[in-house]
Amino acid sequence: MTISESTGARSGLLVRDFSLVIALVVICGFFALMNPTFLSARNLSILMIDLSITAVLAVGMLLVIVPGHIDLSVGSGVGLIGGLAAVLVFEHNLPSPVAMGIGLVLALVLWGGMGALIVFKRIPAFIITLGGLLIFKGAHWLVIHNATVPVVPGGQTNLYSRLTTWYLPSALGLLLAVTVTAVITWNSVRARQRRRAYGFELANTELFFLKLFLTGQIIFLFVIIANQYRGVPLSAAILGVVAVVVHLVTQHTPFGRYLYAIGGNAEAAFVSGIPVNKVLLGAFASLGAIVALTGYLQTAYAGASTTTVGSLMELDAIAACVIGGTSLKGGRGTVAGVLFGALIMAALLNGMTLLAVSPEIKFITRGIVLTLAVWMDVRLSEKW
Amino acid sequence: MIATPHNPLLRADRLVKRFLGVVALKGVSFDLRPGEIHALCGENGAGKSTLIKTLSGLYPAGTYEGEIFVDGKPVAFHSIADAEAAGIAVIYQELALVEEMTVAENIFLGEEPRCGLLIDWDKVYRVARAQLKHFKIQIDPAQPVKSLGVGQKQLVEIAKALCKKSRILILDEPTAALTETEVKSLLNILRDLRQRGFACIYISHKLDEVLAIADRITVLRDGESIATLETGKTNQNEVIRHMVGREIKDFFPRRPTRRGTCRLSVRGLSVEESLQEISFDVYAGEVLGIGGLMGAGRTELLMHLFGAWGDRFAGAVELNGQAFVAATPHDAIRQGLVLVSEDRKRHGLILEQSIGFNLSLSSLAKLTALGCIDKHREFERNKCFFNFLRVKAPTLETLVSQLSGGNQQKVVLGKALMTGPQVVFLDEPTRGIDVGAKVEVYELVNCLTKAGQAVVLVSSELPELIGMSDRIVMLCAGRVSGEFRREEATQEKLLAAAMGMVAERAER
Repeated sequence: MTISESTGARSGLLVRDFSLVIALVVICGFFALMNPTFLSARNLSILMIDLSITAVLAVGMLLVIVPGHIDLSVGSGVGLIGGLAAVLVFEHNLPSPVAMGIGLVLALVLWGGMGALIVFKRIPAFIITLGGLLIFKGAHWLVIHNATVPVVPGGQTNLYSRLTTWYLPSALGLLLAVTVTAVITWNSVRARQRRRAYGFELANTELFFLKLFLTGQIIFLFVIIANQYRGVPLSAAILGVVAVVVHLVTQHTPFGRYLYAIGGNAEAAFVSGIPVNKVLLGAFASLGAIVALTGYLQTAYAGASTTTVGSLMELDAIAACVIGGTSLKGGRGTVAGVLFGALIMAALLNGMTLLAVSPEIKFITRGIVLTLAVWMDVRLSEKW
Repeated sequence: MIATPHNPLLRADRLVKRFLGVVALKGVSFDLRPGEIHALCGENGAGKSTLIKTLSGLYPAGTYEGEIFVDGKPVAFHSIADAEAAGIAVIYQELALVEEMTVAENIFLGEEPRCGLLIDWDKVYRVARAQLKHFKIQIDPAQPVKSLGVGQKQLVEIAKALCKKSRILILDEPTAALTETEVKSLLNILRDLRQRGFACIYISHKLDEVLAIADRITVLRDGESIATLETGKTNQNEVIRHMVGREIKDFFPRRPTRRGTCRLSVRGLSVEESLQEISFDVYAGEVLGIGGLMGAGRTELLMHLFGAWGDRFAGAVELNGQAFVAATPHDAIRQGLVLVSEDRKRHGLILEQSIGFNLSLSSLAKLTALGCIDKHREFERNKCFFNFLRVKAPTLETLVSQLSGGNQQKVVLGKALMTGPQVVFLDEPTRGIDVGAKVEVYELVNCLTKAGQAVVLVSSELPELIGMSDRIVMLCAGRVSGEFRREEATQEKLLAAAMGMVAERAER
């Protein structure tokens, strides 16, 4: 995905891109030095699953942060929806697709309801979703009776459990890599030609092709390494689909434009004839759907719904957005940036787990990285 | 003050300021004598704002070429604080007061006198009261700022600057949002300050005001200082000639068109407490002017019809003979009615986005195929309006926040017109923009009526109202207080109606 064609992309973003890449390289380099297994196929495969769960939720969070809102309830929501589906499968013997469908509907209702309160009653999203955080957490524990509820009856597999245990066959993975690279290349080159035709500013040619080349390299490297273990994880493919869909929605549909307009100046957006209320409801409902999806991924990854599933995930999602250059004031942020942000958070956590860093230190480190990222963001924003 | 007329208080020597690809100042020289009011005139984008920002330290030393002298000594301001320390204070168009605080709190904001660790509130109010009295500003220092009118807020800003021992006041469009009386009291206070030896740089688009108060006028055009004129030896036409580089003969180039069918019909409209029993019609090809004093309900009327404000108590509205209901601006635009708001930064633009983003914002539904925006068509359409409106910017990707007021207004107009409206509401479309851009807006109005669209023009400037309207409705305290044909309208009659002195109605 090229950042250069995105809404809100400015020359300053280029500096950001590189600072993120450098941060990522430093983090990975450090962990690789400390423990060479960090770069092993097996660990990178695990990292991919970690990443896909964090990133799917973060990409959903982008949809409400861009119009200037926030959602603190997603972590509890992940636990609740995942737990509900697990209970329906394990205790009520429902087929897993049906159970997950029910969870999805509930998530849409809950997030639609919170969105309606925010939009029509003008209650700040911060307060509504803080209430949601507590309510959903309590509801989650009620649903699973403070117990451990597996996502599948013992020894079997179902769609739910396969979300994080199934891998794409290696040929399919390679085919996917070829397709994705081809599409990205074609799109970028076409976008560049158009910009030239329109007389817009163009990024340096060498830089452009270098970026394209690196992107292709990384995609293939990713698939080749994944294939050395068990293949591309299904969850990574799911992340790919979610990311592409949200990217298209934010950059190529009126709905997406309206999100940026509302985040930039909600009053002007209203006077410009944007159905502000509908757009915000849509954003919250979409986030609800993504919360359900993340709930299934995270619960499946844990193997069972427990009281800690989803705990503090809202903060990782918000952190990934902010590290990726999303403005909490609204009006700025891209999917590509969020993916980078999520990758940094996931790599950090994975690396620390590998080094057997204690949970206390993990929290503190994540907090420091988030603070640094915001500080850097403020500094970089000043320059343009 | 040691400075003499030969020794100016503030002097700028061949200032050059470059932005990415644009030269905003191309060697501007300028001097300010003590006890002088020196006006800066020029079209939008002429470089006035850039010059002020350079003089006030907002653009730190090193980001521009040329030199600035205070009291004959070269200075290098690295921040606004440096400039303030040298006695330069800027009073901006967007006032920088904290609404929730009192007048005195605002005056001492950041420099509160202390008594140990605590703020010496007694001193704050005592000194503030003394200062306000000294400068003949009649405002109670204990009043919260939010309860003041725009004019009074402006005076508080000035008092704040004076309390910081500023010797040079820079006023950027101080009267843009003021009423007649407020303007008078502001000008009197400035004259008083001049007597006391303060120097003032005065920026305004209102030339009559400039000629009334300034000692000298420096005209900027395209980033160059064109001329410095003694006010006593010049006149409005000469100033305008220097500003635009050509004579504008036809100031209000209204070309009446043949009136068509009734586009918008309003009957007995009452909204909340603000509007009472308002009725009027607007016809295709016609400009209906709506005038009135501040608070007469002009903006409220437009905002209500547009679906952006207020609960209707009574009344009916028809668009093209069909009942017209708009619960939101979204509905209004879909049915062919569009509004250009008086406050473009608040209601008109997404400042941090590009020109193209803003232009197409209201018309995306028409540029969408299969759920996706057709970016090629969007570009073509944007380009078309960009060229038609002659927006001065490098490309469509330029951020709106980087444009001058006149060009921002063009973007707002373009956004409204792209929706393909039948009725266009223009609320103060020429506020805070320069003469050249004003004429372009007037020409645009002619284009619209020629194409059979109906225009409703709200303006506080009576010459503009008379010059550009085919018919004028005056409002007073939420009611229609007079209706005039263009031929019979005079400033006196309109003003009388605005103040509710006559209930004269034109027979049609």
